[in-house]
Amino acid sequence: MTQIDLTPASGPAFPASPREHLSSPVIRSALRIQTRMLTAARDYLTDQGFFELLPPIIGPVTDPGARGAKQVDVDYYGHRYKLMTSAILYKQASLIAFDKIFCIAPNVRLEPLETARTDRHLAEFHQIDVEVANASREDIMTLAEGLVGHVARQVIEHLPDELDRLGRDTSLFAGLLAGSFERRSHADAVADLHDLGHDQSPDAEINWAGEAMLSRKASKPFFITDYPKGSRGFYDKESPDRPGYLRNFDLIAPEGYGEMCSGSEREHDYATIISRIRETGENPAKYGWYLQMLREGIPGSAGFGIGLERFTRYIAGLDSVWQASAYPKIPGVASP
Amino acid sequence: VTTLRARAFPEAAVRARARLGAACALPDPEEYGRALFGFDPDQACAAPGDPIDELRLVPPVFVPGRLEKLLELTREPVYRDVRLDSTVGGLRSTLPLYLSAFGSTEAASVDLGLAASRQAGRLGIPMVVGENVTPVSGYGRIEEDTERSLLGRISAYAEHALDGHGGVVVQQSTEDADAEVWNLVYSDPNTQALLESGRLAFELKVGQGAKPGLGGMTLLSAPAAAKLAEVFTIDPVFGGGSDVVLRCSSPGTFTEEILRQQIRLMRNNYPRAGIWVKLPPARDIREAALVAWEAGADAVTVDGAEGGTGWAPVAFLQHVGLPLAECLRRLCGHPGCLLVSGRMWEGARVTKCLALGANAAGLGRAALIAVDTDAENGLVNLVECLSLELQMMTSALGKYHVSALATEDLWSPGAWLTGARRE
Repeated sequence: MTQIDLTPASGPAFPASPREHLSSPVIRSALRIQTRMLTAARDYLTDQGFFELLPPIIGPVTDPGARGAKQVDVDYYGHRYKLMTSAILYKQASLIAFDKIFCIAPNVRLEPLETARTDRHLAEFHQIDVEVANASREDIMTLAEGLVGHVARQVIEHLPDELDRLGRDTSLFAGLLAGSFERRSHADAVADLHDLGHDQSPDAEINWAGEAMLSRKASKPFFITDYPKGSRGFYDKESPDRPGYLRNFDLIAPEGYGEMCSGSEREHDYATIISRIRETGENPAKYGWYLQMLREGIPGSAGFGIGLERFTRYIAGLDSVWQASAYPKIPGVASP
Repeated sequence: VTTLRARAFPEAAVRARARLGAACALPDPEEYGRALFGFDPDQACAAPGDPIDELRLVPPVFVPGRLEKLLELTREPVYRDVRLDSTVGGLRSTLPLYLSAFGSTEAASVDLGLAASRQAGRLGIPMVVGENVTPVSGYGRIEEDTERSLLGRISAYAEHALDGHGGVVVQQSTEDADAEVWNLVYSDPNTQALLESGRLAFELKVGQGAKPGLGGMTLLSAPAAAKLAEVFTIDPVFGGGSDVVLRCSSPGTFTEEILRQQIRLMRNNYPRAGIWVKLPPARDIREAALVAWEAGADAVTVDGAEGGTGWAPVAFLQHVGLPLAECLRRLCGHPGCLLVSGRMWEGARVTKCLALGANAAGLGRAALIAVDTDAENGLVNLVECLSLELQMMTSALGKYHVSALATEDLWSPGAWLTGARRE
């Protein structure tokens, strides 16, 4: 078995035991901040009329749009079920019941091993998942902007000692707190990277190194919009004005912390989804329940998922995302 | 005891090569000085009406390429000076050859698959593993029966692999997407050495030679089939009295846009793996191959209708799909890496295919028969003989690297070749 190289690029070494991890003052501060962030997110969304839904943990299908990550199979009474890699399909379906929903959703993705050293990947993580019926991409980006700002403000206001203990320079949040994040298209981000001498395909996701470069150059969070079609899941709506490009976005944290949120306007047309499922190499048969719901009609929507541990890492100024989890699972590492 | 049969294939000749190796490139030395030789139609092992078999390789008198080689070597070049090293779909290979996927046979015979994997590794040529293996036999990381599995094949290859050469190419097609074979392989600690040395690739299987327009087919026992009934069509075509049923995959639905985006997504999701696309011998082969290359495929593999190790409906074997020769004609002047398979077993056919624009040829049935003949060295022996022929023919044409072969090296008795000339 290949050993996973966990030599830290900078920060602290991965803990030897759960006891060592849970006893660390840094981890305790990070988890206190995270709890506050969750409370703040719930308050913000609930005040705006959102309904908190408890998402499923297993199902016959889950989000296939996860960049080479393997899903975890569950033998469900002889049926092949999956642990959720994201709640996206269920979020869309749930709009039948409520127009504005959110979940604090656990996800498991067996990420490629190269992600073990990005400081941003965990195989098990949580998302603040939001979905709004009949919303546009602009609506949902504005909501994400407001939510991120509110959560940050709450932490800065209520937990200054914890941030101080972690050595977090809160003056760096000035841009974030001023609101209104820049929107930059994927094509422009690619051009920026080419200007920096970085090799980046215009047809693909921004690669890890490129994303870190863009993030380090920024002083406040910014959106990258309009990803090319071959880079994302089938549920991101293709732009009617710009075929081949998606009505989606990522929210990138500054200071090198990188991507912490993905979202989009959703595709909900049955025939379009079928073609898109094929374009992502999937077998439509296993999406039976979802396709049936689409056929009978579900509302158009837009939504996003904020990676809670990544968001915590950014706010708390942590070296690595595993410091934002009580029981971290770094890709490829068998840990409790 | 050998049980594998390959009708419509020069099985005896392949078995002889698997036993004796390069010696089979020449007549029996016992007959030297006693018998007279010449063209013998009975020895030709040609398929009647196959335009590739009907082509002749035509050496020239004037050989500027040989002069160039002479200057390099400071002596007259000979056939052993012909270089065979090739880039096969982005993988460094010792020869312009690769091991094709074995289709249903692979699922049925564990030992042959493992023997072929070990020998392909030793030879330093890439190996394609069929899409059937994981759904039918499992992956092998947790299951007890690791040998049967995909990981069994990959491990057998990697343990014997020639340093820096070859690679493993894992197929997936529409239904196998449910088993997430690529995601599994890409994130597996066991495959990291291949990935990190640039020797892992994934092949999107759009179709195959033996049954273009149909998906994969395997025969399964009824209880085994019941387990797969959620994913595959199970057709009790042999009637209620039979123990076996037919398991069918769908061919998968493709449009230009679906193919283009599937390849882009592969590039996006597996940036460190090579991307191959296997096409059936379809009438729009040229359009499909161009879409694949343009979308970023490292190789397009084309299986001629005469190809196929596996199981296919009788009518398809006889009547459906373009012959490889016609595929090559339609693809002439192509811009990418083209890999071909279909009745490959000796040097002449491979040489002709390279001259017609292929970058490498795949061994399917021949490899299976070879390892069935000799599990230790059968494939190595077969390839040794093929390589010698390839060197002899290429040098006769005044060329010293197989990549220099071109249509000028061929003559066709009919007008067929004129459509395949490259500028």
